[in-house]
Amino acid sequence: MKAYLLFTLVLPFLGSLTLALAGRHLPRRGVEVLACSTILLSCLAALLALISAGPNPQTVILLPWISTEGFSAPMSVLYDPLAGIMALMVTFVSALIHLYSVSFMRDDDGYVRYFCYLNLFVFSMLVVTLADNLLFLYLGWEGVGFCSYALIGFWYSDEVRAAAGRKAFILTRIGDVAFGIAIALFFALYRDLSLAVLNQKAPGLDPSLATALGLLLLWAAVGKSAQLPLAVWLPDAMAGPTPVSALIHAATMVTAGVYLLMRFFPVISLSPAALSAVAVVGAVSSLFAACAALAQRDIKRVLAYSTISQVSYMFMGVGAGDVGGSMFHLLSHAFFKALLFLAAGCIIQSLHEEHDIFRMGGLRRSLPGVFLLFLAGALSLAAIPPFGGFFSKDRILLAVFNQAGGGYQLLGVLGEVTAFLTALYTFRVFFLVFGDRPASGTVGSSALPEAGLRPLPKFMVGILWPLAFLSLAAGALNLPGLFSGGEWLDRALAGMPGGAPPSNSSPGVEATVMAVSGFLSVAGAVWAYFLYRRRPLPEAVTPLRQRMKDLLSSAFYLDQGYQKAIVTPYRAVSRFLWLKVDEGAVDTGIDRAGKWFPFVSLGLQQWATGRLSTYLKMVFLGFTALLGAIVLGWHPW
Amino acid sequence: MIVPFSHVLFLALVLFLLGAVCAVARRNLVMILIGVEIMLNAAGLVFVGASLHWEHLEGQAFVIFILTLAAAEVAVGLALIISSHRRTGSVNADRYNLLKG
Repeated sequence: MKAYLLFTLVLPFLGSLTLALAGRHLPRRGVEVLACSTILLSCLAALLALISAGPNPQTVILLPWISTEGFSAPMSVLYDPLAGIMALMVTFVSALIHLYSVSFMRDDDGYVRYFCYLNLFVFSMLVVTLADNLLFLYLGWEGVGFCSYALIGFWYSDEVRAAAGRKAFILTRIGDVAFGIAIALFFALYRDLSLAVLNQKAPGLDPSLATALGLLLLWAAVGKSAQLPLAVWLPDAMAGPTPVSALIHAATMVTAGVYLLMRFFPVISLSPAALSAVAVVGAVSSLFAACAALAQRDIKRVLAYSTISQVSYMFMGVGAGDVGGSMFHLLSHAFFKALLFLAAGCIIQSLHEEHDIFRMGGLRRSLPGVFLLFLAGALSLAAIPPFGGFFSKDRILLAVFNQAGGGYQLLGVLGEVTAFLTALYTFRVFFLVFGDRPASGTVGSSALPEAGLRPLPKFMVGILWPLAFLSLAAGALNLPGLFSGGEWLDRALAGMPGGAPPSNSSPGVEATVMAVSGFLSVAGAVWAYFLYRRRPLPEAVTPLRQRMKDLLSSAFYLDQGYQKAIVTPYRAVSRFLWLKVDEGAVDTGIDRAGKWFPFVSLGLQQWATGRLSTYLKMVFLGFTALLGAIVLGWHPW
Repeated sequence: MIVPFSHVLFLALVLFLLGAVCAVARRNLVMILIGVEIMLNAAGLVFVGASLHWEHLEGQAFVIFILTLAAAEVAVGLALIISSHRRTGSVNADRYNLLKG
């Protein structure tokens, strides 16, 4: 068991280390094989660990790390079914993304740096996934943040992309602070940082402290998972290479936040206030992001907002006390979001880096393989029954509706509205990109670039088929009892706190929720068909529509608001400190003081005669003066 | 002790001042060195006198050290003077002003 876990964790790290130290001396093929094989082997080790582990959580100490009198922080792993499934998903999706990257980055010279960071990213995420000791977990948490910074700003010579990397780093860091405080609070309370011990001792916690800890953890998760109010970094993070976006969104970064909440569920579940805060953040963010996704023109930004929206569903699941449902959605989301991003990468690359969906069109015929793949992802994302996303999203909505209290019912309704919007924006992209449209004067519809499509390697498209299969069939992981499904995931997570909450709803309610959300999804897709399939794009827009469009495409001016409220005042203060305080006061003061020195030293220069006798005279006079002063009663000490 | 302690101190003071004036006023390096020697011996005289006055032997032991130190100093100092005389042909202290700013 220990060996499997050690292999899972160490292999990506060794791969990254080797690439960092010796990558430049390896042939290109060697770098690619090394990077992919470490992740594939790590995936294999994760699979073996999952098979060989029992249903009970176990703590395994991999390496001693920090150890002093009365306190020790070893590199330890808390392995339970939740962590095991997550680790397997992370390594599997990452392995596919690594393989895809080999094709995607075929013309890029920075491949060593790229694969080095990619491996390190997977390693950090695995640490977050598996770690038991909170310091070790924090190491991975920060590692994830660093790697996202390095990879989003991968093409750093472009100022905009570099700034996007910084933005991601700074905004997630705002969340990390809360996590740091939470760790300190845990230590102050229990003198121990083991996750297993903390979750075990948590039930004796003071209610107000439990709420505080829950909110701190929520804030940390909000930063990493790009929820409101820290959601603005994720759309900008699209500046990175597309496989990196897939990795960030599907496997490594964004899900880390919600996963943290699942890991700490015993603590969070102690406080109803914290739980409902989680659910509210989730519901509001999901509606916010779904609205914003409706008006984006960049294909990757649509997907980015859809990630925010889908991760928000997972927050809602945790807030409704259903960790199992949340995990279910996390898994299916990982498959279809990775698939959608990688398919989008294919589209963008074959259209010569074209991101604007209004300049695409008619790709159904020219890229039939990508068309089918994207369709699979879109069906799952839009939660069209009976595909993957439908069951997982439905499970979360059902859990929300099952909670007592009118507040939760309202959140459930928000979730249903979002489900409708999700189908709408997903198929908006789908029909705009793949459907034929009558020519329109304003935007070049069906306009393929004059140079023709850039050919894609077969491997790049072929590697996506497993993902397409999984995203369509993800529902089978946990088919609800209503369909006489196996509920495999529920059984696997049965021992976990919140893993499979007792379903207190009647089959009637379950069927109603399912029917409503299924109907809404299909309705959204059909509406998108009539909006974007047949009609040419409207040429003139009324002022009201334009205002709506601006509001949505700028995501409710959230970014601009931060710019006005925080960035601009900060810049003004920095400018004041720089020009007025530093240069104006400090520097000028020192310059003025410096002007006196030449006068003083010119006076002193006359004493430096260069004659030994003068110097000796001075020594004697000085000594005499000193002795005289002491004799006269001066006490310098 | 036959001689009063104050006499010893007075003699030492005179000797010290003579040495100091010699070291400061003369330009000849050899004379400066001699002046320093005289000052050292004045200090030694005070040590001997004080040792007898308070009947402690440490003062006399100190004089032995001072004598050794003076011998070593003269040896090094004279060697330096000879060496610099060979280089510049002069023992005038004021001519050694290369480091003047």
